[in-house]
Amino acid sequence: MSDVEESGYEEPPPRRKAYEDDEEDDEEEEDAEEEQPGKKKRRQKKDPMARFLDIEAEVSDEEEEEEDEEDFVNDPFIETAETGAEDDGRHHARLDKRRELEEDEKSPEQIAREFSERYNTRVPSRFTGDMNEIPQRLLMPSVHDASLWQIRVKPGREREIVFSLMRKSLDLEYTAKPLSIISAFQRDSLPGMIYVEARSSQQVQHACNGLVGVYPSRGIHLVPIDEMASLLMIKKQDLAVTPGSWVRIRRGKYQGDLAQVVDITENGDEVGLRYVPRIDLNPRDDMDLGGSKKRKKTTTTNASARPPQRLFNYEEVVKVFGRNTVSKRGQVFVFLGDSYKDGFMEKDFKLNSIVLEDVNPTLDEITMFSDGGGGLEDGMVDLSIIAEASRKAALSVLQPGDHIEVFEGEQAGVHGIVEEIAGDVLTITAVGVDLEGQKIDLPARSVRKRFKPGDHVKVMAGKNADETGLVVSVSENVVTFLSDMSMQEVSVFSKDLREAAEVGNGTNIVGDYELHDLVQLDLQTVGVIFKTERDSFRVLDQNGQTRLVHPHQISMRPRLEPCHRHRFRRDRIKDTFGIVKDTNGGVARVELNTGNKVISIEKAKIHRKLPNGKSEPVEGPGATWGRNNNFNNMGPPSSMPNRTPNPYASGGRTPGWGGGGGRTPGWGGGGRTPNPYAGGSGQTPAWNASSRTPNPHAFGGGQTPAWNASSKTPNPYAAGGQTPAWNTSSRTPNPYAPTPALGGGEAGWATPGRSWGGDSTWNAPTPASAPTPASAPTPGVGVTPASTWVPTQPSLGGFAAPTPGMIPSTPYDMDQDTNDAYDIPLDWLLDASLSTYQSTLRVRIQGTRLDNYLEGKYESLEVHVLAASPAASNFDQTALVKMDSTSEERTVLMKYLVPVTPSMQDEAAVVLTGPRKGEKVKIRQRPDASSLLELVVVESEKEYGGAFWECQKDWMCAVW
Amino acid sequence: MSDPVSAIIPQSKSRHLRSCLLCSLIQTSNDFRSIGCPNCEEILQLKDNPDRILSCTTASFDGVIAVIDPETSWVARWQRTAKYARGMYAVRVKGRVPEDVEAELESRGIKYRPRDQSDQD
Repeated sequence: MSDVEESGYEEPPPRRKAYEDDEEDDEEEEDAEEEQPGKKKRRQKKDPMARFLDIEAEVSDEEEEEEDEEDFVNDPFIETAETGAEDDGRHHARLDKRRELEEDEKSPEQIAREFSERYNTRVPSRFTGDMNEIPQRLLMPSVHDASLWQIRVKPGREREIVFSLMRKSLDLEYTAKPLSIISAFQRDSLPGMIYVEARSSQQVQHACNGLVGVYPSRGIHLVPIDEMASLLMIKKQDLAVTPGSWVRIRRGKYQGDLAQVVDITENGDEVGLRYVPRIDLNPRDDMDLGGSKKRKKTTTTNASARPPQRLFNYEEVVKVFGRNTVSKRGQVFVFLGDSYKDGFMEKDFKLNSIVLEDVNPTLDEITMFSDGGGGLEDGMVDLSIIAEASRKAALSVLQPGDHIEVFEGEQAGVHGIVEEIAGDVLTITAVGVDLEGQKIDLPARSVRKRFKPGDHVKVMAGKNADETGLVVSVSENVVTFLSDMSMQEVSVFSKDLREAAEVGNGTNIVGDYELHDLVQLDLQTVGVIFKTERDSFRVLDQNGQTRLVHPHQISMRPRLEPCHRHRFRRDRIKDTFGIVKDTNGGVARVELNTGNKVISIEKAKIHRKLPNGKSEPVEGPGATWGRNNNFNNMGPPSSMPNRTPNPYASGGRTPGWGGGGGRTPGWGGGGRTPNPYAGGSGQTPAWNASSRTPNPHAFGGGQTPAWNASSKTPNPYAAGGQTPAWNTSSRTPNPYAPTPALGGGEAGWATPGRSWGGDSTWNAPTPASAPTPASAPTPGVGVTPASTWVPTQPSLGGFAAPTPGMIPSTPYDMDQDTNDAYDIPLDWLLDASLSTYQSTLRVRIQGTRLDNYLEGKYESLEVHVLAASPAASNFDQTALVKMDSTSEERTVLMKYLVPVTPSMQDEAAVVLTGPRKGEKVKIRQRPDASSLLELVVVESEKEYGGAFWECQKDWMCAVW
Repeated sequence: MSDPVSAIIPQSKSRHLRSCLLCSLIQTSNDFRSIGCPNCEEILQLKDNPDRILSCTTASFDGVIAVIDPETSWVARWQRTAKYARGMYAVRVKGRVPEDVEAELESRGIKYRPRDQSDQD
């Protein structure tokens, strides 16, 4: 029996014969006579709890039925009498008792109705369709029905457990502890849970006791009454198989192959498929037909060793297998039991042996069907099915900024640019003669990306992913482009394409090999990969020949001494200028000024170009720039002089770094000491690091500099209402300035302030930073900060400060109005340091009126950011926001979102820029609303050290 | 064995579970052959008729219901199996009964409700 289904699958043509052949069982002798009385007897024992309608219905005998059949329908009451008489006494009595009980509570009408209902359906084996007339909605559950309870079960065992519950209920039915659950069910689309119908959760609990894989401890949840019906109405994704649709074969030699549905059996169990055969035209045991063929067949089911897909060719097959292996019946060839039509194999498959979902036929595969067949009429290849698939995906691939065209609906033919996406509705700005500039809402499924010949595109998905090229033709949703890499024409669906400027692969890695690898091709030949293509390389071998090589043709990669490559690389670009774009550990990414190329290079191998024409290492001995570890934030070093109109810059040198030259240990040291923040973390090591870590400045005796302490502790200077935090000192006429000087030991605090000023991370070009004297005395240098004054003076680039006390005062006066407003980048929301706060940021929509974006109706509204994630670089960034006032949700171009500046004391905010970027702070001073550039005292949250400091107001964004 | 009006409860692991297209009862094809469909035998005549079993039952169904007390069960009522034998039923059965059965139902004035949830009213 167990091979019934199998044989139906393996031996193809007898679509429905399998059952006939196999189901020859011995149970057939069991005849009706034997069964009927048995049934009858058992029925009389029926569960007392059950309604008696069916009991009566099934009790009556065949003979009786024959004569009375007509009457039953017409006159139920007569029949009642008859059947009643035939019941045995015990049963009858019970029924009577029960009927009495029930009828006591019922109105005569009700009783009458029940009677007619009952006896209309009572013919034993006659199928009546029961309540089929009742509309489904009248069957909705009521409060009188038992409840449904959801229970967690082990995923994969849902069905088994439902069966177990059934069996358990039957087994325990007449025991002392019967189960009282009414039903239980499971849905394939709700894995890991079953539903039990019962009056109480205790009953469910009781029923589940002892069943393996049921987890009542995870809760037995009541299903709300209005959700009960939907549990039974869930439709699995309707896998409609229609002739012409595409499927994949799940198992066997043809596993994964695309097939087309030719026909479907009446009950939908089996489908006839047409697919490209894989006939082995080079059979190993030649000409060995019959039995041995079969054996061979089983061994070749290994998908990896299967013969290639090839249309059936009578001549070829006959040549290899002999003329009598193939017979022809009309249009169909029969070969080894399989039938072939128009070159395709046609075979019936069980539904469960084919894959209906996510078929995603590729263009190549479909072409095989349309080209190869010849006899296949055009109508059979239904591109609409693939189109359908692409449409489903359309939503996920559209982005604001995409050029689209509408291909269906009343707006068909309209071109436009995606403005925003809300659910599956797109708003586009139409482009074209009469609609120009109009905003149109459209369903996402009726648009497709639009490309025109000449566009440069990149493939985002599919097997051609990462190919780039120039569009040569567009037909419907198929775009053909000339690949930059292979110079071949490639056709892809427009949904998988994106306009892109870049050329070539995203990576230069194919398989295990990378561009410029030295590879061994065979024992005699080695070569260098000089070009990578999608799945192959161009290799220049030692004989000067170039060849196209696939990864598997490479036997190994000769091991190079690492230094070889480095030298090579360094030599190549030596004396080249560039801009550091990013750093990661000891490696910097440098954009070369020539060649517009970004390379990775060890930091040790690059020098900073100083304005005086000299250069110095960015790291290690000789590096002076205290802040050199986060130069990624600073932009090109060459721009530095512009930033600091430095009153002290005698000789054109900013004392900050020009004078240092590695001699000012105070900040120069930062680059030399192990600094946890090195590597461009965006943190400023000078003070922040030192406040937490072994002090980088402490090499002169291990003393903690005074300033450092102050950043950590309730600030001794705060008493005056001003914080001597680093930026305070640099900007405000600092009444405390003398203090450090006088105080000696505390002089150091000015240092950080100073080195901050010199830093370009933020846009405040505070000349105040110039109080280099302060910086010079960096405590680290000497044994005591006080004593460092003198020794370090010379390092100030010639600036002689007779008394430290007066030095700070002068510059401080000057920089009052040099504060710069924070120029908010368009994608500030996406800044990594804000990511944890993104959803709490108070954000305002601004600037929309000017551009008439969304008609400006959201202007000035404050919003909650629900989601914002980076779009591809060449698209406008958008964020999903919720209007605070109306709770409306929509996407908004990120460039219209600006941070709300904190305006109240004790308000929480996040620092958007500057060295303390990303810190969460509380405003500790009542801001004066007049100026955005105002400095307010803030207190960092605990996790950021709880320090009090001053922050420019527009550097912060309030949080909800 | 415990209850007479129960259909045969098949092994859940059986690979040959099939659901009756008319009443959605689940049995193995063997059971359908030996006893037919306890609910619809009169009209479908599945017993000893493998061809008929193949056309009137299907292996493509979704969701399994253990109907323990059909008469009180809302689930059974919703599924319109409240008057049927206790047993395992499918929630959703793919396919329609053969045309002759549909014709027969029509001649008896019975509204045919396919169990593929194609018609919801």
